Amino acid sequence: MAAALAAVSQQEDTRKSEFELLKARLSATGQNPVLPLEGVVATTIPELDSLLGGGLPNGVVATLEGATGRWSLAAGLVAGMTRRSLVAILDDGTLYPPALADAGVCLERVLVVPARTALAIVRAVDLLLRSRICRLVLMPALALRDAVWARLAKLAHRSGVLLIVVAERAGASLSAAAGVRLHCVLERIFVRGTHGLWGSFAGFELCIDVRKHKRMSPGRTAHVRVGNAALR
Amino acid sequence: MLLCVEVAFPSTSAQDDKGKSMLWEEMLDSLDAVSPLIDDVRPGLAFLDMHGMANDANAWMAQTRAVLDHFGCALRLGVGFNKIAARAVAHVADGTICESGAESKLLAPLPLTLLDVDPATIERLRLLGIERLGELARLPHGPFVRRFGAASAGWHELARGIDRRPFIPRGHAVAIEASIFGEGRAADEVQVFFALRMLLARICSDLDCCGKRAGALHLAVELEDADTCSFDVPLATPTAQERTMFDMLRAKLEGARFVAPIVGLRLQALQLEEGGEDQALLSADDFDPQRVAVTIARLEAVLGEGVARATTRDAHLLEERFTYEPFMCRRTRGMPPSLNSQVRASNELVPQLRLHKVREVSVQLRGGEPAAVDRQAVRQCVGPWRIAERYTEKPVEGRDEYDVVLEDGTFARIYRQGSRWYLRGVYE
Repeated sequence: MAAALAAVSQQEDTRKSEFELLKARLSATGQNPVLPLEGVVATTIPELDSLLGGGLPNGVVATLEGATGRWSLAAGLVAGMTRRSLVAILDDGTLYPPALADAGVCLERVLVVPARTALAIVRAVDLLLRSRICRLVLMPALALRDAVWARLAKLAHRSGVLLIVVAERAGASLSAAAGVRLHCVLERIFVRGTHGLWGSFAGFELCIDVRKHKRMSPGRTAHVRVGNAALR
Repeated sequence: MLLCVEVAFPSTSAQDDKGKSMLWEEMLDSLDAVSPLIDDVRPGLAFLDMHGMANDANAWMAQTRAVLDHFGCALRLGVGFNKIAARAVAHVADGTICESGAESKLLAPLPLTLLDVDPATIERLRLLGIERLGELARLPHGPFVRRFGAASAGWHELARGIDRRPFIPRGHAVAIEASIFGEGRAADEVQVFFALRMLLARICSDLDCCGKRAGALHLAVELEDADTCSFDVPLATPTAQERTMFDMLRAKLEGARFVAPIVGLRLQALQLEEGGEDQALLSADDFDPQRVAVTIARLEAVLGEGVARATTRDAHLLEERFTYEPFMCRRTRGMPPSLNSQVRASNELVPQLRLHKVREVSVQLRGGEPAAVDRQAVRQCVGPWRIAERYTEKPVEGRDEYDVVLEDGTFARIYRQGSRWYLRGVYE
């Protein structure tokens, strides 16, 4: 009798633990597999493509946020895009083209638009979106009024151009206008060899978090490895 | 009959290639008065086709001298039935004529340099004991060609006075331009654009008549205060389309400011090319160079700075590893050639350094290594890498570069120069 009771109790425990597991899986809605979306531009970064259901939607404002890794992600997107079309990068004077070339960007197909002030950047982006000569326009973040971001978002939507804004932290106006928001968090750094003179950084791992997506639920994450070669 | 004209340029102009070629072009234009068919071999050497021309050879040469007299250059003239004979006779004695059938006898004592062969080949022939055209002509044709290659068949024939080189008449320069002056003054951009459309209509009509396309435009704007503004407008691909040219001109003028009303416009079509335009059959993923060029012109007008293309180069210092050049749009099918070598083996991401404005930072050392940067503890540090520019005119102090990861997650490139520390960039 005692053995039978023990067996029933064990069966009950197993059922409970399985039920808890199922509850945990269902509650984590952000991690459900995503159905492939239509009308997206593949980023050629496999982890990001699977995270976003095939790529970034056409004609949206997308933000890449975070302290470290956002420009690495942007360079990956530019590299994929320059295989097909022209890309414009608004340069505030901090662009380092050799790193872009290392990321596989075809520099021949990148228009480097020098723009230092907010007004110049907005006017240049406006012109580029209207002309539709580039499939992707990459710009640094600016403090702009809601109406300006809304206009740029509308222009991007009408022209079918992907406008990527790279920002350490997106403001309220930009967050509202953005169709996709990705946030990068530095998880760990890989060092080759020992530290000091005999070592070199071999790259780092990023955790990418979807903070906003106009066509799917947010909260999904992916881990991406950045860099393989020594950073010299 | 061909008349050979060989010109020795004065030593002053010989040093200046551009000046020499301009002088030569003027001389060729003058020679049009002697014969309409001129083969321009190179600056200083031309052949004139004299078939069917009035008078005799001596009269032709006298006329040529008269035409070129005011240039003040030394001339050598000769008349022959083919190019090699005409040139040889001019080389032997200025103003002489080579009769038909006397070519091989004339050429026999002359040096090999008359063949315009590269110096290395002449040296090889000289080592074999061949220094005159007569000696070359006496060589058996087959073995000589087998030894020196297919091109040597032509040299052998030339040495025997047989010249099969075609006579290629030079094209005549066509000037296509239109201007408008003395019809009032324009203070409104609409009036200027209207006038530009008129000029472009004339230019495009002329281009159509000549079967040509313009690769660039030059616009000169004359102002009421006697000042002139010039605009060079390169077109992405040579075209004869009025609309494309107008778009480019308008985009270029968008950023222009004139201090006085416009009283005249002169528009000139440059870089004329023959033939039609390349059109993309399936252009879904291809960009239109003209549209790109118009957008770039607009951006330049708005920003006041040119849109650039980056190129990389080898250098020690980070900031010297790239340069910018003006973005010129070229139509490419699929992947551009230079891309093939740059494509990543895998879809691998690469850390991106951002070159921020260099600023001094305070660094605390521990065991010779940075332990804190601007009061942020260093979690990891690699380096130093010594960078010294030794071969510059102005000696620059070498610097030691480090990559550091700070407590707040900042991943930066810092360097020490002398006793001071600087932040060069941040991996963002």
